[in-house]
Amino acid sequence: MDGLEAIPWSERISLFRYALLSALVAGTVCPLLGVFLHVRRTSFYGIALPQFATAGVVFGFVALPWWIEHVGLGGVDLAEATRDSHAVMNYHLAWSNVFTFGGLFALLALSRRGGSEVGRVAGAFAIAAAATLLFGRMSPVGKGFVDELIAGELLGVGLHEFETLAVLYGLAALLFVLFRRDLLLVSYDRESAQVLGKRVFAIEALLTLVTGIVVSSGTMFLGPVILFGLIVLPAIAARAWARSMSSYYVLAIGFGLLAVVLGVVASFEFDLPLGAAIAGAAAVLLLPGFLARRG
Amino acid sequence: MSANDSALLVAQHAAFGYGRRAVVSNVDLAIEPGDFLGIVGPNGAGKTTLFRGLLGLLPPLEGRVERRARAIGYVPQREALDALFPVTVEEVVQMGAFGKLRGLRRLPASERERAIACLERVGLADRRSAPFSTLSGGQRQRGLIARALMVEPELMLLDEPTTGVDRAAQARILELLVELNASRRLAVLLVSHQISMVRSTVQRVLWVADGRVRAGRAAEMLAPENLDKLYSAVGRPAGDEE
Repeated sequence: MDGLEAIPWSERISLFRYALLSALVAGTVCPLLGVFLHVRRTSFYGIALPQFATAGVVFGFVALPWWIEHVGLGGVDLAEATRDSHAVMNYHLAWSNVFTFGGLFALLALSRRGGSEVGRVAGAFAIAAAATLLFGRMSPVGKGFVDELIAGELLGVGLHEFETLAVLYGLAALLFVLFRRDLLLVSYDRESAQVLGKRVFAIEALLTLVTGIVVSSGTMFLGPVILFGLIVLPAIAARAWARSMSSYYVLAIGFGLLAVVLGVVASFEFDLPLGAAIAGAAAVLLLPGFLARRG
Repeated sequence: MSANDSALLVAQHAAFGYGRRAVVSNVDLAIEPGDFLGIVGPNGAGKTTLFRGLLGLLPPLEGRVERRARAIGYVPQREALDALFPVTVEEVVQMGAFGKLRGLRRLPASERERAIACLERVGLADRRSAPFSTLSGGQRQRGLIARALMVEPELMLLDEPTTGVDRAAQARILELLVELNASRRLAVLLVSHQISMVRSTVQRVLWVADGRVRAGRAAEMLAPENLDKLYSAVGRPAGDEE
């Protein structure tokens, strides 16, 4: 962001409006998912799955030459595809989905065998992180792109990416609102949900689907760091203050949006990568709850 | 046990277990309105398997189970509910109405009022805004009974309702169940390892041991001299309380 300090705030906001709007959308929807992951004691999924999605996007670049030669991408040639990743956005989104859902289903299948959930998810994260770096070295766009993706330089998000993200996250938010009671009941007391006649398997599949949508599209457009920050941290920060489930949802979204605003300010003021600044701000918001508990 | 038309739950030659292995078999049982039954037996004998089978959480491996009650209230073990959820007592009780609600519909005012009435019934109305996890063991159990009452049950099934609570709280829970059983002809089936509690509270007992279920009157089956006979085959486990 060289030379950014010379641009007035109003112009910066206008210039990066799609990135900022995308971050605000993520600040609203990711904490909602985080609430369910946190109370179901599966917050680690919020760390491991974005890493899978990142590996998927980077693998997309590795496979790009072969894909263009054998399958084709609507007339886009390799030079254009590697120069401007916007041109092949849907291609990368598809790879992000394949890796996210692949990782998610693998973790769910392995969880049926028992053993340590934390160990499994930590192992999955390590594998996905290593794969990301290895794919990065093998890809035609090289290590620089991977570093940028991981750092969360989301200021380049344009109208098309914002629109796609808004539609997908809007769908996720709608599903959360429509099924909030079923998701709560199945998460809190699975057996009672069964006795009450709820289709428990379908509701859990819905949560899996929403998790996949939020993580794969969020990682693709915004990078994994902001996803780590906005899925996991606001839900933990809000739990310290929530006195009911209704207040928990509102507080988590509030902390998510506050983290975005503080992160944007910090990023613009101190020339920091926006995604990492937002995740950092979300981490700072953990402090009051932590101190209040100690007090 | 012959099943009348009025029976709320009927099991005929039913077997329950996991995979293909039956843990309890040849279960014949009919629960009528106003019945008060307890499932007892040594640890590991299959009490929970029978309970889950009757509740519908395990499909029968053989025979059949008919749940004819218009509504069944279920009270799980309170330890199964995670304190990480910041739910209030009122929110927990309102979950009992979730079975009737779809989509965006708000919980109707009538259901909210009924949740409060159920909390009053169990003596917890003044704690309705408290986080559920801050209640004592006995209070949490009564909160879960209030949730089960939300479905207006004809039959209530309770999993170890008095385990881990002090004697005063235990007495209060049992008083409540006896009162519901008597005033509403609510049929009650509970599973417990607390023999003395079951003997003094329930009318009939389902004794589970060696994969079989024996039914009888509580006062007779759980008389000290009979208990010695019942336990003689398997030995009285340390976890069972007399």
